[in-house]
Amino acid sequence: MKQVGLIAINFVREQRWPILVLMLWVGVLIAMGLVYDLRKAGEEVLFVFKQVAVYGIVFAVFFGASAIHNERKTRRILSVLSKSVGREQYIAGLLCGIIFAVSIYCFAMAMTGTWILRPAGFPAAYVWFLMAYLLVASVLAAAVAVVFSTFLNPLFATLCAICVLALPAAAALRFDSKWASAIPFYPLVGLLMRASFSEKWTPQWDLLALGVLESGLCWLAASWLFSRRDIAVAVD
Amino acid sequence: MAAALEFDGVSKQYNRWYGGRSVTALDRLTLAIEPGEIFGFLGPNGAGKTTAIHLAMGFMRPTAGQGRLLGKPFGDAKTRGRVGFLAENVAFYYRPAEELVRFYGALNDVPRSALKRRSREVLSAVGLLEDRRRNAGKFSRGMLQRVGLAQALINDPELVVLDEPTSALDPLARVTVRELLTSMRNAGKTIFLSSHLLSEVELICDRVAVLNRGQLVRLGRTSDLLRTDHKLEITARGIARDSFPEAQATDAVVRFKVPAEEQRAALERVWNLGGEVVSVNPVRRSLEQLFLELTMSSTPGKDIAS
Repeated sequence: MKQVGLIAINFVREQRWPILVLMLWVGVLIAMGLVYDLRKAGEEVLFVFKQVAVYGIVFAVFFGASAIHNERKTRRILSVLSKSVGREQYIAGLLCGIIFAVSIYCFAMAMTGTWILRPAGFPAAYVWFLMAYLLVASVLAAAVAVVFSTFLNPLFATLCAICVLALPAAAALRFDSKWASAIPFYPLVGLLMRASFSEKWTPQWDLLALGVLESGLCWLAASWLFSRRDIAVAVD
Repeated sequence: MAAALEFDGVSKQYNRWYGGRSVTALDRLTLAIEPGEIFGFLGPNGAGKTTAIHLAMGFMRPTAGQGRLLGKPFGDAKTRGRVGFLAENVAFYYRPAEELVRFYGALNDVPRSALKRRSREVLSAVGLLEDRRRNAGKFSRGMLQRVGLAQALINDPELVVLDEPTSALDPLARVTVRELLTSMRNAGKTIFLSSHLLSEVELICDRVAVLNRGQLVRLGRTSDLLRTDHKLEITARGIARDSFPEAQATDAVVRFKVPAEEQRAALERVWNLGGEVVSVNPVRRSLEQLFLELTMSSTPGKDIAS
C-alpha cells in the first residue's frame, strides 16, 4: 500500500503542469463568475461549466493512455520496478495518481460550480453530484485507457479506449437502451451533459457504484496484462 | 549455501511482429553467483548481458528456463527489496538528489526513521553529499550514475546488480566506486557487475563470465582465466641477449619466455652461461586479451570452466 501511495504522489508531481493547465479552465469559470451577472446568466454559465467539466475526462484518458509509455520511454520505470514494487502495485499507483489528479479538478470544479450556479437557483448538491459523476466517468475512462496502454502506444490506446467506452452507447442505439449501462461511462457523462435548471434530479448511486466496480476490474485486467509484458525492450 | 543469483538454462527470444525474424538474445544460460563474491559479467555489445540482468530483475520473462534471485524465482517483488540495482542508461525524476534517493528507499520499505541517515550515508559514499540538494536533472552523466549507485545501495542490499556502473565516471570516481564495491564484498554482500571496463573487472572481480552472442563462452576465477598454463617468463642478469630466442634486454637484464616443461633446462642454461636468475613468473595475460580471444574467435558452449 505504501508503494501505491508513493507512486501515486510521484505521478501527480510529474504531471503537475498538465494538472495546472486543467486548473486554468477552473480559472476561466472563476473569471466568468466575476464578470457575469450570475442570477441572469445561469443557462450560459451552466453550458460553459459542462463544457469545461468534460476536459477532465479528456485529461484522464490522456494520463491513462500515456503514463506507462512515458515511464518506459524515459527508462525511469526500471528504477521503480527494480524496487519492492509489484506490477499490480505499479498500475494501482498510476490509477490512484490519476484519481488524485482528477479529484483535485472535480473538487475545484464543484467549489466553483457551487459559487457560480447557485445564485441562479441551481442546487449545490446537484453540482456536487454532477462532479461525482464526472469523477467516476473520468476514472473509468482512465482505467480503460490504462488497460490498453499496457500493450499499445498512447495513440492506439486512446483510440481503443474511446471505442470501448462508446461501444455500449452504440449498442443501446442499435439494440436496447439497457446496453448503455454495460459500461456506465456514457450514462454518467449523459447525466452531466443533460443537467439543466429545469431537470428534477435524483442521485444515480447504481451508476456510480458500477463505474467504481468496473474501474476496479480494469485495474485487475491491466495488472494481469502488465505482469506479462516485457518492459525493458524498446517501446516503439 | 544457496546461490545469490542463479540462471538455470535461461533463454530469451525477441519475437518480431509481422513474421519478421526472431532474435535469440540469451541462449540457455546456466550460471550461479555465490554469496559474498564480486562477479564480473563480460561480453561485447549485444552479447545478452543486459537481457540477462533484466530477466533477473523481473523486467522480462524468460522464453525458456528459470532463475532464482536470493532463492526466489525471478520477478518476486518482495525479494527485490533485498537487491540493489543500477541500470545501464540511468534516468531519474527531476528533483533534488537526496529526495530522489529517499523516494527509492521508501519504495524499498526502508523505514522512514532511517531514510534520512541512510540517504546521507550512501550519498556520502558516492561523493555527492555536498550536492544532495541540487536537482538531479541538472547533473552530469557521471553524477547521475553516482546517484544511481546511491539509490541502489539505500536499502543496504544483500545483492547488488550493476549494469555498467562506472562507464561515465572520471578516474577518481572510479577508484571510489571500486573501493566501495570491495568494502561491500568484505561486508559479505554479493556484487554482480556487468562492465566493459576490463581493467576494473580484472582488479576487483573474484569470478568472471564471458558471454558472446547470447551464450556463455567462459566462466571461472579471474586469476585462473588470466594465467596461461604453459609459459613462464624468466628474468636473468649477466647473459647475452641472443642466448635465448626472442629474448628482450633492458638495463642489463634479459627477459625471455619458455614453455613450463623447459623451465629447468632454461634455468640451468642461464647458470651455465654464468648468469644469475632474477625471477621466474608465470606469464599472465590481461583480461582484455582473454576477452578479445573469446569474443573474436570463440565457439559458444566450449571452454566453460567451473
